Amino acid sequence: MGVIMETGPAVGGLMRRFLASLRDGVGFDILLVGAAMVFLIAMAGLPLIYNVLMSFQQVDMFTLGSLIRPWAGFQNYIDVVREPAFWLVAKNTFIFVFFSMGGQFVIGFALALFFAQNFPGASTIRGLFLVSWVMPGLVVGAIWSWILAGDFGVLNTILKGLGIIQSNVFWKSDPAFSIWAVVIANIWLGLAFNMLLLSVGLAAIPRDLYEAAELDGANALQRFWTITLPMMRSTIGAVLSLGLIGTLQQFDLFPAITEGGPANTSTVAQYWSWQMSFQLYDFAKGATISVMMLVLVLIASIIYVRSTRHEVRG
Amino acid sequence: MKLNAYGLLAAVSLGAMSLATPAFAQVTLKIWSIDGVDRVGIADTFSKEFDEANEDIVVEYRAIPFDDLVNETLRAFATGNAPDIVSFDNPDFALFSSRGAMLDITDRVANSSVIKAENYFQGPLNSVSWDGKLFGIPKYTDTIGVFYNKDLFAEAGITEPPKTWAQLTEYAEKLTDPANNVYGATFSARAGEEGTFQFLPIIQMSGGGYDNVATDGAAEVLDLWKKMVDNGWASKDVLSLGQWDSTGTFNSGNAAMAISGPWEVDRMVEDAKFDWGVALLPTITDGGERSSALGGFDWGIMSTTKHPDEAFRALEYFASQDNRIFEEFGSIPARSDIELPVTGVEKKDAALKVFLEQLQYAQPRGPHPEWQKISKAIYDAMQQALTGQMSSKDALAQAQTTINGILGK
Repeated sequence: MGVIMETGPAVGGLMRRFLASLRDGVGFDILLVGAAMVFLIAMAGLPLIYNVLMSFQQVDMFTLGSLIRPWAGFQNYIDVVREPAFWLVAKNTFIFVFFSMGGQFVIGFALALFFAQNFPGASTIRGLFLVSWVMPGLVVGAIWSWILAGDFGVLNTILKGLGIIQSNVFWKSDPAFSIWAVVIANIWLGLAFNMLLLSVGLAAIPRDLYEAAELDGANALQRFWTITLPMMRSTIGAVLSLGLIGTLQQFDLFPAITEGGPANTSTVAQYWSWQMSFQLYDFAKGATISVMMLVLVLIASIIYVRSTRHEVRG
Repeated sequence: MKLNAYGLLAAVSLGAMSLATPAFAQVTLKIWSIDGVDRVGIADTFSKEFDEANEDIVVEYRAIPFDDLVNETLRAFATGNAPDIVSFDNPDFALFSSRGAMLDITDRVANSSVIKAENYFQGPLNSVSWDGKLFGIPKYTDTIGVFYNKDLFAEAGITEPPKTWAQLTEYAEKLTDPANNVYGATFSARAGEEGTFQFLPIIQMSGGGYDNVATDGAAEVLDLWKKMVDNGWASKDVLSLGQWDSTGTFNSGNAAMAISGPWEVDRMVEDAKFDWGVALLPTITDGGERSSALGGFDWGIMSTTKHPDEAFRALEYFASQDNRIFEEFGSIPARSDIELPVTGVEKKDAALKVFLEQLQYAQPRGPHPEWQKISKAIYDAMQQALTGQMSSKDALAQAQTTINGILGK
C-alpha cells in the first residue's frame, strides 16, 4: 500500500514530462521523424526491398502472391546480361539519358537566359512554355507519334517543304532514327521544367555582381563564365540530377511512339523492365532490370551529393 | 445502453439482409472478358442474357481492356480472387491451362448435349487443349488473307491475285506509284503479337513451326519482305503499324494489297471507294503448302471456381448462341456445323467465303505456357532482318537458339 502511494506521484510526473516533451521538445522531434520514417518505409522502403528480393528469386504466376519463393541467387542477373538485347538496350538507355538531359539542359538554359532579359511580356511567354510540362506523357507521345509519322507526318512535310530532305524519314520505323524520335519528344517534354528551375536560379543572382563586373570591363561572355555559371552551380546540380531521375522514369513516350521497336532499337531499360514483367510475364527479370537501374541512379546521386557537399559548407 | 443500441442495429441490418435474399440459394458467377470495353460484344451480351434467364444464378460481368486482361487475371489468381469464367486470346490460354489454373472440362464436354468437341475446327480446339485434356472451348475464330484493290490491279494489267510470295513481291513492284502515294503492298511486321501473327504462317508453310523457325523457306520470304520495304514497294512503317492502321492505308487507296483479316471487312465496305477482293495467303512455291494465322478468343473456367456446374452451364449457353455471333458481332464461329447467313452485301459475302476457306489452313500459335517469349523471339528476328541488322538466315537462327532455350531443348 505504502509503496504504491510513494510511486504514484513519481509516475504521474514522468507521464506529464513525457506528454510535455511530445508537445514541445525532443519527443516532438522523435514523433515527427518517426512519422516520416513510417511513411517512407511503408510507401518506398518495403516495395523497394520486395523488388530487390524478387530479383534473387524464381517467380511465376503461382508464387506471384507469396513472399517466400525458390532462391535463384544471381541467376536472374546472369540471364539478363546474356539476353541478346542487353547491350543494345544499355546503349539505347545511355543515348536516351545523355542526349535527353543534354538537350533539355542546354535549350532550357538558353531559354532561361533569354527570358531573363526582361523584355515586355517575357514572364507571360515563359509561363506559356509550361504547357508542355503539364501535359501527360501519353498525350505528348500520341501527338509526337503523329508529328513523326513516316508517310504522312507533319515533321516530314515541313522538312521536305524546306528542302532539307528529299524523301520521307521514317522516324519510328528506321533503326537509325527510332531512339532519336523518342529523344526529341522527351527533350520537348522536359524543356519547360529545366527552364523554370534555371530561371529561378538566375533570378537569385544579385544584380550588383553584374554591375560591378561591367564596371570592371567584363564582356557578356566573361560575365556568364565567371558569375552566372559559378553562382548557378548548385541549381545546375539539382537540375541535372532531377533530369537523370526524370529521364530514367520516362516511360509513357515509349509505348506511345515506338513501342521499343523496330527490333529493340529504341528499347531502354525502364521499358524493357516493363516488357519483361507485363508482356512476357517474367517478373523476376523485370525486377532484376529495375534493380540494375536503381544501382545506376544511386551511383549518380552519390556523385551529385559529393560534388555539391563542399560548396554548401564553404 | 449504447451497446444495446448497436446490438439492435446489427439485428435489424441482419434481418434486412436475410429479407433481401430470395428463398433459394443463389450462385454468383464472375465472368471477365474484353467485350464491352469500347463496344458491345459476345461476352457482355450473352452474360447478361444468361443472368436474366437463370433465377438461381447472378452473373457479375467485368469488361477489361485487352492489354490488361492477362495481367489482371494473373494478379487475381495469385491473390485468390480469380473470376469463375474468363475469355482469353487463344495464344494466352496455354499460360493458364498448362499450370492448372483452368478447370479440366474433358468429361463435362463428353457428357454435354450442347457442346461437342468434334464440331470445332481443329486449330481453335488445339489452343484450349493441353496434355490431351480439354480446358475450354473456342469463342470465335479469325485468320488472315490478302485484300487487293481490283481497280489498281486492272490499271497495272494484273488479272489474278498473287499465288506465291514471289508473285506478291513482283506485283507490289508493278503496283507501286510514288507519284500518287501508292505502295504496292502493306502488312504488319510490328514488334508485338501482331507481327508474329502475320509472320508465323510463313514459317509454318515452309514446313516449320514455332519450335522450328529457322527454315530456308521462311528466310526466303523474309528476304522478299525486306526487298519490298527496301525498295519502297511497301512503307517502312509496316515495322510499326498495327494491322488495323496498316489496312487503313489500303482503304484510303495508298496501298494496292493488304494482309489482314475478316475484322476489316465492315470498315472496308464503308471506307474503300474502289472494287476490292480477298485472296488466300500466298504460298512459297506454286501449289505449295498452305498456312495462315489463327486468331480469336477462347472461353475457360478457372480451376479455383466454387461453382463448376453453374459455370459449365454458362459455357453451354454461350455455345448454344454461336449461330448468332456472325450476324450480330461480325465474328466467325469456330465450328464446322454452323452455316453462316448471307448478308446480301456482295463484297462482304465474297470475302467471308475466302476467309472460311483460309480457316481450314489456320494453325494456332503454340499452345505453349511461355508463348509470349517465343513470340518475342519470332518478331524480334523478323524485325532484325527487315531493318538489315542481320541477314534473314542469321536472325532466324538466333531466334531458334532463344526458342530452344525456352523449350529446354
